Amino acid sequence: MCNCDDNHGASPLLPVVGKVIKIVEETPDVKTFHVTSDEGKPFTPMPGQLGMVSLLPVGEAMFSVTTQGPDHLEFAIKKAGTLTGVLHEIEVGQAIGVRGPYGNGFPIDLFKGKDIVFIGGGIGLAPVRSMINYCVENRDNFGKLNIIYGARSPEDLCFKEDLFENWLKVRDTQVHVTVDKGDDNWKGNVGFVPAFLEEINPTPENTIALTCGPPIMIKFVLQSLAKMNFQPEQIVTTLEMRMKCGVGKCGRCNIGSKYVCLDGPVFTLAELNEMPSEY
Amino acid sequence: MKSLSKANLPQFLEALNQSSQVYVPVVVDGTSRFIPWEQGAELVLDKNSNIPPKYLFFPQTEDLYGYKIYKQSGERTELPSAMEPFVVFGIRPCDVYSLEVLDDIFLTKGYEDVHYKQKREQGLLISLGCLEPEATCFCESWGLNPLNAPTADIMMLDGGDQFLLKAQTEAGQKVIDSQAGLLEEFQGEPPVGKPCTLTVETKGLMERLQPMFEHAVWDEISRKCINCGTCTYLCPTCYCFDVLNKTRGEEGIKYRCYDSCMYPEYTLMAGGHNPRPTKKERVRQRFLHKFQYIPERYEGQIGCVGCGRCIVKCPVNLDISRVITRLWEVEADV
Repeated sequence: MCNCDDNHGASPLLPVVGKVIKIVEETPDVKTFHVTSDEGKPFTPMPGQLGMVSLLPVGEAMFSVTTQGPDHLEFAIKKAGTLTGVLHEIEVGQAIGVRGPYGNGFPIDLFKGKDIVFIGGGIGLAPVRSMINYCVENRDNFGKLNIIYGARSPEDLCFKEDLFENWLKVRDTQVHVTVDKGDDNWKGNVGFVPAFLEEINPTPENTIALTCGPPIMIKFVLQSLAKMNFQPEQIVTTLEMRMKCGVGKCGRCNIGSKYVCLDGPVFTLAELNEMPSEY
Repeated sequence: MKSLSKANLPQFLEALNQSSQVYVPVVVDGTSRFIPWEQGAELVLDKNSNIPPKYLFFPQTEDLYGYKIYKQSGERTELPSAMEPFVVFGIRPCDVYSLEVLDDIFLTKGYEDVHYKQKREQGLLISLGCLEPEATCFCESWGLNPLNAPTADIMMLDGGDQFLLKAQTEAGQKVIDSQAGLLEEFQGEPPVGKPCTLTVETKGLMERLQPMFEHAVWDEISRKCINCGTCTYLCPTCYCFDVLNKTRGEEGIKYRCYDSCMYPEYTLMAGGHNPRPTKKERVRQRFLHKFQYIPERYEGQIGCVGCGRCIVKCPVNLDISRVITRLWEVEADV
């Protein structure tokens, strides 16, 4: 099969040697890494697609590309394991391997002309942000944008500049932020995302809901969306799995006969309902 | 059909070995496997090898690329990838068929695995049919023929004091033509093989399993499994791999090696979540992958060729043929 129109060249497992040009400390355990290479942007993903990031000799792991500029990719990475632990120690200028893009990305056609409710929790906003920024850049193609986001505490909120400045300036866009537990300076909502979502009560009419967050949040968000009469076809989510190859060969990221790295990571709830619940 | 006197086999292999490395089944440290042929080698041709010849096409460990690390810069280095032609002599029909399964995995669905592809292009298969399948063989249940592997370059049968050879591809015909001096025309009747004594019902198995993901039978089937992974390492169709680094000073190599769905680390994510946390999910994955997921994904392809290696070597006798039988026995909607 021809794969000359992708970025993988002769072997899909070969990374581009890139460089970290900026590191943003989002929260105590999340940093956003801006990555470029000598040839410019290592690859051009669609929103929701993935990139394999490697730090030699530590290892490789798959991350969503949270957004991109003309010459760089951004990965928002939470400190969670061996590789991410070392990534959190590196400095600007560090050489880094990147390969991609992998996965299907968000179904842009499904979103076109519709209102969109984005529901994110914690680091789950990272992939959601790629779609939000795509909508911002192609604003006329989409209806109202309703961004609902929650984190454990005010200091755990990712992408504060987007939440409290950039996205507020976008036409027909609302941003609702909540935290599980406030602090002395927090003036916003306190409470869990699903309850907050029900309070905001977006209409399901001509609307798509896109959600990503910790499994427990997703579970209750789905219940809330069902209560508000969102149909499984109107609900989109993106999954996380351990991955090694990114091209559906190494085996581990399957759910039934689907590979999350290739057929996902984005699925509608209608699609997930047809698959074994093993994720 | 041609015949090759068994007395002339060393000469035949010697001649083939001039232009291509010939791999033959030999016992190494008590385990039969395919290794480079040399004069005097004692070939194991009365039964299939303990370790499948899969590793000639998909090695247990395989270097992908090299790299050099500096403080602020890195460099990816190419590894020599020239692959010489080679011959696999004595590969059994089930193992030939397993390569067709691996072809679907590695060469379709949008991405071609170059490492596998190079070896497939360079490997010539001389397959030996099985006149007397072992008690653990059940390839016939999957619709395979123990006497014939249609995609082998040359098909061979044991005719007593001679081997009978039939070219099935252009490359195979070339080999036959080039060794004409050692071969004679065979006029008689080829030997008749015995059928497999072990049989399982495979027709409709995929459809049978589709609604059985949550079935209680998986608790029962997985109960005695110790997740040792032996079955996956000996399976000619298992292909899952890990990608790892080895580093010495500032130079390193990124390589891949066999991995196994039997191990918890296989799916364990940073942060601690594991979608297949217990052996029940892992054993279910192994069998559903073979009997349901591969056929669903690769247009009816099978994920098991009935070679029986996992039956022979499983330390707790978790017999794949009995698993299939059990999956038919239980009430489907429990």
